[in-house]
Amino acid sequence: MTETPIATATATSVVTKPNLVSPDGKIQVLIAMQNIWKTYDMGAEKVHALHGVSFEVHRGEYVAITGPSGSGKSTLMNLIGCLDTPSQGDYWLNGKNVSEMDDDELARIRNQEVGFVFQTFNLLARATALHNVELPLIYGGIPSAKRHEMAKQALGEVDLTDRMMHRPNELSGGQRQRVAIARALVNHPSILLADEPTGALDTATSYDIMNLFEKLHEDGNTIILVTHEHDIAARAHRVISIRDGLIEKDEQIK
Amino acid sequence: MKLIEILKVALAAIWAHKLRSALTLLGMIVGVTAFVTVVSLIQGFNVYIDEKIANIGAKSFSIQRFIPFEDFKDTDTIAAAQRRNKELTLDDYEYLKERATLIAKLGAKARGTPSQIKRNDQVLDDVFVTGATANTVDIENRNVENGRFFGDTEAEGAARVAYVGADIATKLFPAGNPIGGEIDIRGLPYRVVGVEAVKGTVFGVPQDSFVVIPLKTYQLDFGPLIRQRSLYFLATSKTDQGFSDAVEEARFLLRARGKLGPNEKDNFGIVTPDAITGLRDRIFGTFFIVAMVVPSIALVVGAIVIMNIMLVSVTERTKEIGLRKSLGARRVDILKQFLTEAVTLATIGGMIGVFLAWIVGKIMTVIFMQTYLSVFAIAGAIGVSALAGVISGLFPAWKAAGLDPIEALRADT
Ligand SMILES: Nc1ncnc2c1ncn2[C@@H]1O[C@H](COP(=O)(O)OP(=O)(O)OP(=O)(O)O)[C@@H](O)[C@H]1O
Ligand SMILES: [Mg+2]
Repeated sequence: MTETPIATATATSVVTKPNLVSPDGKIQVLIAMQNIWKTYDMGAEKVHALHGVSFEVHRGEYVAITGPSGSGKSTLMNLIGCLDTPSQGDYWLNGKNVSEMDDDELARIRNQEVGFVFQTFNLLARATALHNVELPLIYGGIPSAKRHEMAKQALGEVDLTDRMMHRPNELSGGQRQRVAIARALVNHPSILLADEPTGALDTATSYDIMNLFEKLHEDGNTIILVTHEHDIAARAHRVISIRDGLIEKDEQIK
Repeated sequence: MKLIEILKVALAAIWAHKLRSALTLLGMIVGVTAFVTVVSLIQGFNVYIDEKIANIGAKSFSIQRFIPFEDFKDTDTIAAAQRRNKELTLDDYEYLKERATLIAKLGAKARGTPSQIKRNDQVLDDVFVTGATANTVDIENRNVENGRFFGDTEAEGAARVAYVGADIATKLFPAGNPIGGEIDIRGLPYRVVGVEAVKGTVFGVPQDSFVVIPLKTYQLDFGPLIRQRSLYFLATSKTDQGFSDAVEEARFLLRARGKLGPNEKDNFGIVTPDAITGLRDRIFGTFFIVAMVVPSIALVVGAIVIMNIMLVSVTERTKEIGLRKSLGARRVDILKQFLTEAVTLATIGGMIGVFLAWIVGKIMTVIFMQTYLSVFAIAGAIGVSALAGVISGLFPAWKAAGLDPIEALRADT
C-alpha cells in the first residue's frame, strides 16, 4: 500500500463525480468504481488483488460476479460493501464518495446502504433468528418495538415466520442463509451483496436461495452476487468475469 | 445503541460463560468482601463509641488516677505518673462534691473485681463486679430493663443489693424473675434489684456479664479502693455550654487540693468524650490504612484477572466483532459493548462481595462485635469495583473496537 501501483492511477485519481442519472432521467447509477486497486503488502512482495477495476451498477440491476479462485471476487465485494477500503481509486455509492469516508461514516454506510450475505452465514450462535435480524437495526438506533416489527417482516419475506425464535443451530443451512438474507434486507439497503451465498449449500437448497434472490430482484432490490457456478451466474441479468484482479468480461445476458 | 441494550448484550455474554465469569470474579469478590467487612467493623465500633458517648452524655467526663495512653506510653511515663499521681480517695470525692459549682452530678465508681457468682448449683466464673454510687445510673444513662438500680439509702447503708447484666439474669434465673432473688458473690448473699438491657459484644467480649453493687458494700466486701479496685469519678456538667468550664473547675479544685505549683503537671487524669473520640480516630486511622492493604491487593488482582479474561473474550469473539462491525457497529459501539461487559462483570463481583460482607457482618455482630454496613460503604465498594471494571476493560475494549471488520470476520473462531 506504500507503493503507487502504476503511473496511470495517479492520472485518474482526480476526483470526478460520475453522472448519477442518465440523460433520459431513468437509470440511476448506484455504484461507480473508478480505477480501483487493492494491494496487500506481504512484506517481501506485494499482492495486487485488484488492479484498476472500473465499472458501474445501476439501480435495480441483478449482477453476478464470476471468476476463478483467487481472482479477486471477494476482495471486490468487500470493497463494494465498505467492509474494506481500496488502496487506490474512487468508489461512489449512491452519489457519495466512499473512498473519502472515515470509520464512522463507513459504519453508517454498512448499516444503512448495504446488506451483506456471507457464504458461511455469519449468524450469532447465541441469538435467536429474530435477534440476529434485529442486529443492524440496533446499530441503526431503531427503538425496540419498531425493530421487532421490522425484523418480523423481513423474516416473513424469507418465509421464516415460524422459525423466529430458533437459534442458528436449530436451523438448516438453507434456513440459516435465509435468516442472513432477512438480516441483510431488514434495513432496506440500497444494495444487496452476496459472496457465494450458496457455496455452503446443497444444490436443491441453492436453488431455493436463488429463487429468493430472484423474487427480491423483482421486488426492486439491486443485487450483486459472487459465484463460480455457471448455472447460478446464468440466473443474473448481467455477468462480470474477473481474472487476476481485472475485469475480463462484462456482459448483459438478459 | 441505548445503554439498556448494551447492558442486555453484556449480561448475555457474561451469562454465556457462567462458570468462567464466576471464577473471574473471585479476586474481586474477596477484595470487596474484605473491604466492606473491615469498613463495617470500624463503622460498627464508631457507632458503638458514639452511642456510648451519647449514653454517657456529651457533657460528662471522668476523673481518674491516670490519663489512659498518655501516661502509659512507655516505662518512663508510667514510672513518672505512678510517682506523681496518687490513688483517688473518697475524701477527694467529698471534697470535689462540696466545692464544685458547675458539676450537676458527681458519681464515684471502683474499677472492679472478676468474681465467682453462684445461685443454687449455677456457677459463673470471672464475672466483673464493681461498686458505684447510686447516681451513676443517671450519669452513665443505664438502660434498666427490669427492676431498678439501687438507691441512695441502700448505697449509704452498704446494703448487699446487686444490679446485674442481662447475661447474669438469664443464666442464674433461667426460669423465673430475678428481681428480689438472691445470688451468691464470693460467698456472700446479695439481693438482685435490677437487670440491665442486653448490650451485645465488643471485640469479642460480651458486655452483659457484670454486677454493680453499692460502692460502700464493695469496699467492705472486696477490700480498700486501691489498685484494681481503684476509685474514679464520673461527672456531668450543668449545661452543655458550661462543659469545659466544669472540667476546668474540677481540675482547678483538685490541683488546689494537691497544692500543685503552676508548672507542675496534674496529679490525676481527666478524660472527656472528645479525648475518647480523638483517641479512637487516631487508632483507627492507622488500623484502617493497614486493614485496607489486603482488600486493595485483592482488588488489583481481581482487576487484572478481569482484564485478562476480557482479552481472552475479545480474541474468542473476534469473528463476532467483525460481524457486528460489518452490520454497522461503530468503534464506540464495540468499545461500549466490551467496556460495559467488564464493568458489569466487576460490579456484579462488587455486589456479591457486599452481600457476603453483609452476611459476615451479621455473624461478626453475634460473635465478635457490633458491625454497621453503611450506605456509604456499599456505594463505595460498588463504585470501586465498577471503576476497577472500567480500568480493566478499557484496553481490551479499545483493542476490540480497533479491529478491522474484514480481518476480524476472517478469524477462524
Ligand atoms: N488479507 C489478505 N492478505 C493478503 N492477500 C490477500 C488477502 N486477502 C486476499 N488476498 C489475496 O488476494 C487475491 C484475491 O483474493 P480473493 O479472496 O478476493 O479471491 P476470490 O476471488 O474471492 O477467491 P475464491 O473464489 O477462492 O473465494 C488472492 O490472491 C488472495 O491471496
Ligand atoms: Mg472469495
